[in-house]
Amino acid sequence: MMHCTMEDLGALRAGEGSVWARRHITTCASCQKELEALYQRVAQLKALPALRPPRDRWPAVKAVIRAERSRKRRTWRAWTGSLAAAAVLAGILLMQPGQSGQLYAELSTAKQQSATLEDSLQQYDIDGRVLSGHAAAVVADLEDRISAIDGSLAQQRQDVQDAQLVRLWQQRVGLMRQLVNARATRARYVGL
Amino acid sequence: MTVSLAVPDILVARAQAGDEEALEALYRAFETPVYNLARRMLKRPEDAEDVLQETFLEVVRSITQYRGEGHLWGWVRRIASTKALMRIRRDQIRATEPLDEEPGKHGMHIGANIDLERAFEQLSETSRAVVWLHDVEGYTHEEIAEQMGKSVSFSKSQLARAHARLRRMLDVDAGEAGGTHA
Repeated sequence: MMHCTMEDLGALRAGEGSVWARRHITTCASCQKELEALYQRVAQLKALPALRPPRDRWPAVKAVIRAERSRKRRTWRAWTGSLAAAAVLAGILLMQPGQSGQLYAELSTAKQQSATLEDSLQQYDIDGRVLSGHAAAVVADLEDRISAIDGSLAQQRQDVQDAQLVRLWQQRVGLMRQLVNARATRARYVGL
Repeated sequence: MTVSLAVPDILVARAQAGDEEALEALYRAFETPVYNLARRMLKRPEDAEDVLQETFLEVVRSITQYRGEGHLWGWVRRIASTKALMRIRRDQIRATEPLDEEPGKHGMHIGANIDLERAFEQLSETSRAVVWLHDVEGYTHEEIAEQMGKSVSFSKSQLARAHARLRRMLDVDAGEAGGTHA
């Protein structure tokens, strides 16, 4: 005698059984028993006790949150400073012909590249997603190094060294590129 | 496990404003249900702990996006189950997940009268995830398929196969009923 498969029983439980299964279950004691056992298993699963985390993970969560907030504040301050520094430099360079013009062009290029990379970074909106431990460490390291450069850029307000400023912006572009690659790789990895 | 946690709106509002005490209160309210969900889906306790941490990091980062539509637990649970499924998928990419352990291995044999919890733990992570999300958390096959990036029929067949395995592990008379039931 043909009996219901487990898929038939699951469909019957969901009220979606085939015509044959619905008719069969009314006359077959064995399948009725199986369906009842399925209901029992599900009820038992629902009644399993809640498993509690063995350790308190809140301190770790809090530490990450604080680090992120601190990093964002640092970056924002540095950005504000570096924009002011860039404005001062632009003013100076615009008044100087020759080598300064070359530096100005390089500076403009680096800043443009940096802005483009910042835009690219937004596409991966990583703040809303969680990285693996290794990927998070790589990203955090890159962000720290970028923050350090931003800090240096902010300090240049006091003492504008043209070539050094260009070099810092170029370093920033290099790190930003690595950061975008790290996040793009992660996004591809999780299929986003 | 039935969760009927009600979180005051004022607590959510404070958490959305970045109040650390409110964020911790949310963590305390949901740490056990989130861990339980992850632990039931994943084989390794340490993975479930990681999912707990990842889930709350995302909750903290995204809490401003929660608009109060539906129960907060539903929103948190969705994040947690996504994290757990991502981990299962990642592990499957790294190494082919073993098929469900057949009865007879690891000291078990057909007819062994083990309890349901132990039998459930013998299932693959994919099967555990489907069974837990469907039968306990009440997700539909459509929702499970969407979250897993698979088809609805995949979810249905995984559920049926998992129950067939559970039945074999639990029921002494499983092989004697005749017909299919598998």
